[in-house]
Amino acid sequence: MADSHRYVMLLSSLPYHGPLFGAKQTPLSRIRLDQRLELLEPEDARCLEILGQLLDWPKQDRERSDAEAMRWARGQVEAITHPFARALAVWRLEYRSLIAALRRRHRGEPAPLDAAWGFGRWLGQVRRNWSEPAFRLEGAFPWLGEANRRIETGDALGLERLLLGVVWSHLDRISDGHAFDFEAVVIYVMRWELIARWTSYDAEATERRFEALVEAGLAGTDLSRIAA
Amino acid sequence: MNEFVNALGWAGLYGVMALSAIGSIIGCAVAGQAAIGAMVDTDSGYGRYIGVSVMPSSQVIYGIVVMFTLQRPVTPESAPALFGIGLLAGLALLFSAVRQGQACASAIHASKTKPEIFGLSLAPAAIVEGFAVFAFVFALVLAGTIPG
Repeated sequence: MADSHRYVMLLSSLPYHGPLFGAKQTPLSRIRLDQRLELLEPEDARCLEILGQLLDWPKQDRERSDAEAMRWARGQVEAITHPFARALAVWRLEYRSLIAALRRRHRGEPAPLDAAWGFGRWLGQVRRNWSEPAFRLEGAFPWLGEANRRIETGDALGLERLLLGVVWSHLDRISDGHAFDFEAVVIYVMRWELIARWTSYDAEATERRFEALVEAGLAGTDLSRIAA
Repeated sequence: MNEFVNALGWAGLYGVMALSAIGSIIGCAVAGQAAIGAMVDTDSGYGRYIGVSVMPSSQVIYGIVVMFTLQRPVTPESAPALFGIGLLAGLALLFSAVRQGQACASAIHASKTKPEIFGLSLAPAAIVEGFAVFAFVFALVLAGTIPG
């Protein structure tokens, strides 16, 4: 079977996800997705697993220092054998490093002296242009100025929306010509993660709102008398 | 030398069928896998997915017909024509079957999400079928002019 159609059955078995911000839930559950991904070749499955370890926030070890995390990330990137998956991992890590730089500056931190705080080729540029709103990287990352503005104004929801949209658009761009190959599987899983993240925010907001309403409704009620 | 020319003639005679069979195998396998995947994800329309996935089987039928039309005593006079027509018609049928299988896989994948485009999504596969028919018909026409 040609590489371009290696995963035709797997991809045909995955439901269409639709647009990111219109989604109310993920197109299929994580358990179902993992079941379908069992059709991957072992080496491709390994690449996808490493990609998940690198990019999923819940899988990150928060006890590690920045330098340790970056050393670990470089090792993981080297372990990804598929060039497309590796390039995507590098892009995501560089993108996160730029966001981290914006947040550090917003907290009032000075320009970092070494390269242990981030990943990729833009660290030097960021350090040299620390006082510029978008580190003079507007050409390569047109969204960086807008992200900075939203951080400065404290628009957390708008920032998250912008950042998820940037990743979604990048996945759109690199998906050209990939319909039934491993690249298409990687893109699908990445999009699934974005939808899962976006829809989980909504669930959390709903939960908070529900708790607030319950508290408001119970205000002034003596619960001990009801229990008795 | 004559034996070698005759061997080429036999290769062309059987090659058209063998090459078209290889194409149909690959094409039906690709489209069939898409059909199976779509059946995993949907609750209806199984029959039409399978129906679309067997479209690339027509090429092997064309190959068999061309082979029988070419069939005649293989002599140094007829062998070069048998080789040329058989090999090139076989290659055309092979590639058309493979590409048609890929077009069918895409049609199945797309119509699974949007059933209303089912008919339209088959247009590329139907156009590829048209080119296979060209290769088939003109192989038959030329087969009538082979000496022997």
